[in-house]
Amino acid sequence: MSGQPKVVPIASRPRSRKPESGPGASAEGERLRHRVGQLEQELRRLRESGEGESLLVALARAVSSGAGGLSWATLARVQRALFFAWHSEETDDFGADPRFARTLEPFLEFLYAVWWRVEASGTEHVPASGPGLVVANHSGVLPYDGLMLQLAIRHEHPARRLCRMLALDMFALLPVLAPMLTKSGSVRANPENAERLLRRGELLGVFPEGVKGIGKRFRDRYKLARFGRGGFVRVALRSGTPIIPCAIVGAEEIHPVVGKADWVGRPLGLPYVPLTPTFPWLGPLGLLPLPTKWSIDFGEPIDLSAHGPEGAEDPILVNRIAESVRATLQQMLDGRLARRRSIWFG
Amino acid sequence: MARIALTGTASFLGGRLLRRLVAAHGADAVLAVDITPPPTTLSGVRHRMVDLTLPGADRRLVEVFREEDVETVFHAAFFTSPRRDEAYAHELESIGTLHLAAAAAAAGVRHLVLRSFTAVYGARGQNPCFLTEERKPDAESRLGWVRDKLEAEAHAFSFSRRYPGLGVTVLRFATLVGPGVHTYYTRLLSKRLVPVVLGYDPLVQLLHPDDALDAAMLALAAAPSGVVNVVPRSTLTLLTALHLADKVTLPVPHPAAYPLADLLWASGVGEAPGGFVDYARFPCIADGEKARLELGFTARHSSREALASFVGYRFPGRPSELPAPLEGGTGDARETGA
Repeated sequence: MSGQPKVVPIASRPRSRKPESGPGASAEGERLRHRVGQLEQELRRLRESGEGESLLVALARAVSSGAGGLSWATLARVQRALFFAWHSEETDDFGADPRFARTLEPFLEFLYAVWWRVEASGTEHVPASGPGLVVANHSGVLPYDGLMLQLAIRHEHPARRLCRMLALDMFALLPVLAPMLTKSGSVRANPENAERLLRRGELLGVFPEGVKGIGKRFRDRYKLARFGRGGFVRVALRSGTPIIPCAIVGAEEIHPVVGKADWVGRPLGLPYVPLTPTFPWLGPLGLLPLPTKWSIDFGEPIDLSAHGPEGAEDPILVNRIAESVRATLQQMLDGRLARRRSIWFG
Repeated sequence: MARIALTGTASFLGGRLLRRLVAAHGADAVLAVDITPPPTTLSGVRHRMVDLTLPGADRRLVEVFREEDVETVFHAAFFTSPRRDEAYAHELESIGTLHLAAAAAAAGVRHLVLRSFTAVYGARGQNPCFLTEERKPDAESRLGWVRDKLEAEAHAFSFSRRYPGLGVTVLRFATLVGPGVHTYYTRLLSKRLVPVVLGYDPLVQLLHPDDALDAAMLALAAAPSGVVNVVPRSTLTLLTALHLADKVTLPVPHPAAYPLADLLWASGVGEAPGGFVDYARFPCIADGEKARLELGFTARHSSREALASFVGYRFPGRPSELPAPLEGGTGDARETGA
């Protein structure tokens, strides 16, 4: 030990790290670089799969890390996972969210197939492509009829089209319901939206009765209220869109409105608060719609192209068309009601 | 030689636009009008100090415009965030634009471009999905911030009606979000906890600053008349944006949100007064068709990309699922950092 000089052989290490200039060494370096690249890719893949982890994994991770692991980052992560579990990251220009619609679908399908046993007929009258304006009677306090109409066209029409509903302004103001309708493809009922969508060749559903229809009293059921100011006819004329009348029977009995408490609704910004045999007496249970038997009938399309877009400027013509659409729809409703033997079994 | 005068060069958009103009036309063709000089990195740019809030500002501006032979004015001296001293904001935005428009008309300026905001349409439940330029803006807004912008627009248009030689363009930009943007909106996006309104999830438009600058340059070249909306390529819902940016959201019922926001604002903690709660409840989405037709402008970035570029700038190193911004898209917004 004592005879040997105290030399630490550091010179050998840096030299071995230096790239050697032999042909074999460069091949070795190439191989290593390749391997490093592979590992990096692997790492990236693993991290990405971790980012897109499912809701359950995110929740489990949060729970297992316990109170000590509770941080803004975990909280944000859990919230994010919860949110994107039923919302897609991209919506279309009008806010329709495909994943949200898929989430809602089982519930709506239950209502459609089991609760109300909807029978749709005449779906062949709905155009398979290009613009169309479905005009239906409105009822039922909450916009169930619109959602069912949407589902009828998506399920029973061969083209499985998305029928965008024109929602009342009233619903656009209500919390929860407003984003829900937007994400399921509805837009506010105003002429700008309707014309823009029809020009894009989309299928629209509209309830010209508006608020007067949805808050109809039980004794007035299936008596069509005034058709607004004919705005839907003007839009159809301007864009040369056929009107498809659609009679929804059964929806008018799901929440029999026996009275209205305007004095409660006014301060809350609601146009009316309906009083039904169950609401508000049974509390939230009163919100449960009655399981009536529904039918949704689509009638022959009414072609307005003969009048041309300039017809929209003629108020007499617009009113006449609105009146005739209303009469057709009332006829369809009366026909179906005459054939119906029971509210519950059709 | 005819110059382009630019006000508000100390602001984010004004400063960036000054850089673009200098790069495009040379330092000699540009005149900076502001109360603070432009950054020293922009050597050779002429600067005139004019305080638009002072009573004699219009006379001083006429002198400046005549001396410097100004042909085009870009007025960017507007507050992108609400201010607590509303009186000063009113003096600068409404009265300042009155002075500027009067001076521009008197000095024979040919074209005046105003920077404005799509938020002036107002967020309402009844809004159509896309607000076109024909839509009447919300002149009775409870926000002084909105009313001042609309007064400024009205002053400019009234002068262009009285002096046909003066063309006026109002560029209504969607909410700017991107690297270097410091507004009430990006400050909210920088917080860990963001309050939202319970049961509401409106669509929002987030505009990348590069797109805003592209549109501003095109507007200076094409000189369209009237209002033009400048919007990003696509929209995003507010909650999607917040969750993509990894925020913790705190839902507040809307009857409580307005007084709470006002309280926080008054106490100096909040970023914006209660009137802004509307923008978290209802959509205010502008239509970019006119910009496409008259300016040939289509945004390069979507709202999502603008958000991604901001998150990348504000929280570097945080792993994110957001797509990377377009190649070369953020180049000139990033170069100065601030």
